[in-house]
Amino acid sequence: MIVLNQVSKVFNKGRQNEFVSLREISITIPRQQVTVLKGPSGSGKTTLLSIIGGMSRPTSGRVTLDGRETTSLPERFLAALRRETFGFIFQQFNLISGISILENVMLPAVPNGERHAVLKGRALELLAMFGLEARAAARVELLSGGEMQRVAIARALINNPGVIIADEPTAHLDSKLSEELITIMGRLKQEGRTIIMASHDPLVCEAGVVDNLVEIRDGKIRDSAPAQ
Amino acid sequence: MNLRASTIFATYTAVGLLLLAVIVIDSSSRSATDRQQLEERRALVKSLSLTDLVLFTDARYTRHPSMADRHTPFQDYPLSLEHFPSGSLIPPPPHVRYYGKH
Amino acid sequence: MANIEKQRAILDFTLAALMRRKGKNAALLVVYTLVVAALASVMFLTKSIRSEAAAVLADAPELVVQRMMAGRHELIPVSYIEKIASIRGVKSVRGRLWGYYYDPVFGANYTLLVPQESPPEEGMVAVGQGVARSALAEVDNIMPFRTSQGALFTLTVGRVLPAGTELVSSDLILLSAGDFKTLFGIPDGMATDLVAEVSNLSEIPTIAAKIARLLPDTRPIARDEILRTYDAIFNWRSGILLAILSGALLAFFIFAWDKATGLSAEERREIGILKAIGWDVGDVLMMKLWEGAALSLTAFLTGVILAWLHVFAGGAALFVPVLKGWSVLYPSFHLTPSIDMMQLAVLFFLTVIPYTVATIVPCWRAATAAPDSVMRG
Repeated sequence: MIVLNQVSKVFNKGRQNEFVSLREISITIPRQQVTVLKGPSGSGKTTLLSIIGGMSRPTSGRVTLDGRETTSLPERFLAALRRETFGFIFQQFNLISGISILENVMLPAVPNGERHAVLKGRALELLAMFGLEARAAARVELLSGGEMQRVAIARALINNPGVIIADEPTAHLDSKLSEELITIMGRLKQEGRTIIMASHDPLVCEAGVVDNLVEIRDGKIRDSAPAQ
Repeated sequence: MNLRASTIFATYTAVGLLLLAVIVIDSSSRSATDRQQLEERRALVKSLSLTDLVLFTDARYTRHPSMADRHTPFQDYPLSLEHFPSGSLIPPPPHVRYYGKH
Repeated sequence: MANIEKQRAILDFTLAALMRRKGKNAALLVVYTLVVAALASVMFLTKSIRSEAAAVLADAPELVVQRMMAGRHELIPVSYIEKIASIRGVKSVRGRLWGYYYDPVFGANYTLLVPQESPPEEGMVAVGQGVARSALAEVDNIMPFRTSQGALFTLTVGRVLPAGTELVSSDLILLSAGDFKTLFGIPDGMATDLVAEVSNLSEIPTIAAKIARLLPDTRPIARDEILRTYDAIFNWRSGILLAILSGALLAFFIFAWDKATGLSAEERREIGILKAIGWDVGDVLMMKLWEGAALSLTAFLTGVILAWLHVFAGGAALFVPVLKGWSVLYPSFHLTPSIDMMQLAVLFFLTVIPYTVATIVPCWRAATAAPDSVMRG
């Protein structure tokens, strides 16, 4: 379980452009289920995701992962956590341009010091799972939106993480590709992973695979309920 | 994709370091022919009472820099500015540069 | 083992990233290498000539006494020999006859010298290899000279000095004392300068001081001053070398500056991405270290080896036009490789450290910042 307790996030605290993104959010995210954070842009979904995934620290409040507190972990441990437990899929994909998609997929595992042949094999397998094996050497810029999305997902899976975090995953996809993505998420859930998505796309929010729907507005949780 | 970039780099660097080691070790001793020729030169220096190496033959003070004094570069008159290219390669010898000595 | 794999993986990524700007980085590497090669070439040439001089001139005259008149080097009266010989500690004194002769036909300068031991017979000369080359003189050839009176004076080449001695004999013409005096019109009782031998080398400074006091119009030059002349050869004080050195330092500075003036937004974003997907600060900085070190180390190794080949295998071909200057007669010698380890170490640190540091330091802030800014698109 991932538990957030009275988590607040304030940007530019004390300065003129002080901005409160999250206000005392308390939420419990169950493992091995799909949780969707629903809300309009500016509601704080992205900030919440980044705090859950250890990419930023809250201004106040605590975050625990399976009983272990992560809020006050030193940076190195937090980075290791990010690497091993979480797999991120960004709204903008955030792939490194100019290098191959294979190298992109291997990137999160580089600090692990695995044998190159082993890592490469695993990365190729992941690409194969998404039908991109043949284009492994292609540069990222040459891919279509849907292909980039799949590379981003493959990259998120390279370290076999227990939690997948996706920020607006269908933002750049058409309906067909969106349906495909939702199917992939369902498959990952069946593998026993925890899925956390932020989205205001009805296709995602009303998908059958979703277990919990959390509504967020203006940095506060409006409603949190198991999906129908 | 077959050869990793780090492999190529490591190989190149290893070869480079090896060559560096070779040239450093090589420079620490002379070959037999070199030594023999060095002896010839030393003997000639001794018998002819030579004082300088033949590095430049355009100006007097670069042909025999150890024999030059402060005024040699100015040749025959005070305003004769240094015009030999080799003069810009060799500075005045230490015993001329220090005040009051020569 | 895992650490080596990790370093290799980071290096793979770093090199792949560098390859994205292939042209720019290749040009940078080439220029960097050439700068190192130029500096190293100068270093190698200087060191080997200095080593050579120290070895070869070890038996140079212990004391040379020159006479000065109106600030210029003048002929010295042979009568001075008695006065110098009377100084305690002086073993022997003799006059030296040597001078320069300009050959207008070939535009070359020769050094004419009368040897103390077995001088050539009247009418015969021994010439150095450089003279043989530039005057096209072989054994039994006749060399024409003009005396100080303008009269024609011929001498026959008796022998050519061995090629192995070129470094000290290339432009020499050895002749008898009589021929020397006839050619240059030097009056009897005068010599070019005097050389003295002493019984105790450590007494030389004292004896030199005494000579200067006894004969105020003379200027003594000791052997260690002769040797030190060559210790200082090609040092930074000489004009051209100062120019090369300044240029090189400027180049290093510019390269480091280019790196040090901060990251572009793109680079910052990429560091954020790496942090977000699980690289920690150490990994990011290690990547930057490899980026700087890979390029500068390659430039150093390639440059030094190129320099060695240039100076010792290629006879410093690129420097020859500069070294030759206006000399028509130029010695042909093969330099014995000699390396100053201290200078090589300094070159290494100068090449690698500033550039690597300049690559790492600007990333510090981006590397230590929390990656959530990446999420903000």
